[in-house]
Amino acid sequence: MELIGLANYAVFMGILIGIYALLSLALNIQWGLTGLFNAGIAGFFAIGAYTSAILTSPHVAGRVGGFDMPILVGWAAAMLMATLIAWPIARICLRFRSDYLAIATIGVAEIFRLIIKSEDWLTGGSRGITGIPRPFGDLPYVQSQLAYLALVVIAVLVVYLLVERQLRSPWGRMMRAIRDNEASAAAMGKNVEARRRQAFMFGSAIMGLAGALFVHFNRSITPEAIDPMIATFLIWIMLILGGSGNNRGAILGAIVIWLIWSISEMLTDRLPTEVAIQAKYVRIFIIGLMLQLVLRFRPEGILPEEHKKKPVPPGRVQP
Amino acid sequence: MKKKTAGLIASLLGAALIAAPAQAQDARIALLGGITGPIAAMAPPMLEAMKLAVTHVNEQGGIGNGGKLNFVIGDSACNPQNATDAATKAVNIDRVIGVVGPACSGAVLAAANSVTVPAGVLMITSSGTSPQITNINDKDLVYRTVPSDDYQGRALARTIKERGMSKVAVAYLNNDYGKGLAEAFKDEFESIGGTLAGYSGHEAGKASYRSDLAELARGGADTLVIFDYGDGTGLVLLRQALENNFFKNFIGADGMRSDAVIRELGADNLETFFTSAPVGEASASLDAFNKAFAAAGQDPNTIFATTSYDAAFLMALTIEKAGGDKAKMAAALRSVSSAPGEPVMVGEWAKAKKLIAEGKDINYMGAAGEHEFDEAGDVPGNYAFFKVSGNTYEAIAEMK
Repeated sequence: MELIGLANYAVFMGILIGIYALLSLALNIQWGLTGLFNAGIAGFFAIGAYTSAILTSPHVAGRVGGFDMPILVGWAAAMLMATLIAWPIARICLRFRSDYLAIATIGVAEIFRLIIKSEDWLTGGSRGITGIPRPFGDLPYVQSQLAYLALVVIAVLVVYLLVERQLRSPWGRMMRAIRDNEASAAAMGKNVEARRRQAFMFGSAIMGLAGALFVHFNRSITPEAIDPMIATFLIWIMLILGGSGNNRGAILGAIVIWLIWSISEMLTDRLPTEVAIQAKYVRIFIIGLMLQLVLRFRPEGILPEEHKKKPVPPGRVQP
Repeated sequence: MKKKTAGLIASLLGAALIAAPAQAQDARIALLGGITGPIAAMAPPMLEAMKLAVTHVNEQGGIGNGGKLNFVIGDSACNPQNATDAATKAVNIDRVIGVVGPACSGAVLAAANSVTVPAGVLMITSSGTSPQITNINDKDLVYRTVPSDDYQGRALARTIKERGMSKVAVAYLNNDYGKGLAEAFKDEFESIGGTLAGYSGHEAGKASYRSDLAELARGGADTLVIFDYGDGTGLVLLRQALENNFFKNFIGADGMRSDAVIRELGADNLETFFTSAPVGEASASLDAFNKAFAAAGQDPNTIFATTSYDAAFLMALTIEKAGGDKAKMAAALRSVSSAPGEPVMVGEWAKAKKLIAEGKDINYMGAAGEHEFDEAGDVPGNYAFFKVSGNTYEAIAEMK
């Protein structure tokens, strides 16, 4: 094991963690901040991924595409598309209470998945899309990975600062008021439905961005990547583990889960082969166990939501 | 947090540039399998076959001058996220010289595109069958010992056209396996003058496919081609088609050649049911593999067992030929796998090692075939046409 190898792997982990941190932050807006139980993260992740892939990939016979647009256009379009599609869904589904909303969003994500698998002319069907460009992809391996890490870190930072600002602004306080007591917020004249819709669309846009970042990193996308296990429930685990309602918690959750996943493997690989193979199943068990323990002993997550004690001066946005 | 990590990485990179990597005698490869996830049941025998190849190498002299062939096992979990993770770990931390695997086409595409090709590491997959893998811009670094679904679909189209069925309906499972076969079949069948009277995909796990079948039967074909799995949805589809008399003849691909079909439906009802399936060209090499794999307590007929063995053994031959030089791997693989050359069979590591040491050209004749890679790193398959006979399948013709 050499240091440079470890460093290269750390860069890769950083990229993957960054992408999942974005998803976790997005879910935090919807669940942690607003109390919307979105169990269809994979759907918006997929919309972002495929939108950017279709816009930026070269032409292939039998599929819409060949627009060869700049990657930044693809990313912007991914966010826009996820937001636009979130709007009608929000109009229809957000009237449901939490558990019904969960069922409805699972259904929505499943519809997207089936559309993606079936509509060859648009998404390449079950074979997916390949040949997607990667920013700085022509550089040698290490530099290219580092450059991509920088892009992902910038994206996470920007999103984190934006969400943090929203959270502390009057908008954020209003959202928490709606989450904690919908009736009284409505009684104060807040338009509950419109605000929840905003939060839903805001979160969806960031999920779309995460999808776009993922697809350009892998240079390919197939429906296997949007399996609900890895693109919805894993993110829920991250947020709940890290601490819902807290943006740093959301990022921490993504880090912890991926570290458990990979470091436990590095440790178990030192065992004899027979045991090492079986240990790979144990990793999933460990993640489940972590979740159980956190829920049992620290239900608010590792970093719980912060409650402001100081009153905020009126008319001023707290930094 | 992130900034600190980035700083740390930068300093590590600097340190590593000063320290030149030490060249070890041993060679290390990664065996990536879909250990967890949707194909978890198929992964253990595939890994066993790869390990058998490594055992053969180490028992008969190992790599280079007394070195050993070591391996690390990674879990690609049949999805891109875990496959890239496992491949990155193998390439960077374990510093492998080659990757055998991963399983599942989506995992192969992601791992090749974002990890092994940029890092210049050779990859031989034994189970990625998607035609998309052919198109990877791979700098000649991605190979597979399993034929693309494209070949089987085309061969099947030619075979049934020759047998006089020129109007058929096609039902395929909507995943990369079913669709890959169906598209190749359609393309070939129509280009040689056949007519498709129906063509539709279906999702797995529904209770009834009668409406799908009725729709397909409306086209007036009396032959149904099913690209699906015989111990899953394909069985349901076949049963319902028989019960309702939608079609007279039934054709399947390798996924349909399952004992479950005969067990559940009875051989009497399957007189008009035929399947294609890859066959290891009956060879001394295949016999040797079957014997060795059975002796290791495994079932040699497991799917992808032969291709997995061949992938790992070819990787070992390549390392020996390239002398452990990463940059020479692709050329070395082409040289050891293709004719002309002294033939080397399954398990004949000592012979191969000696020939390579003498500078002679070798040609590996694998358990799954001869592995004459084409330009894209694909191999053509050997297929036979099967009918049901008693409680098993009997090959009735070779497919061209």
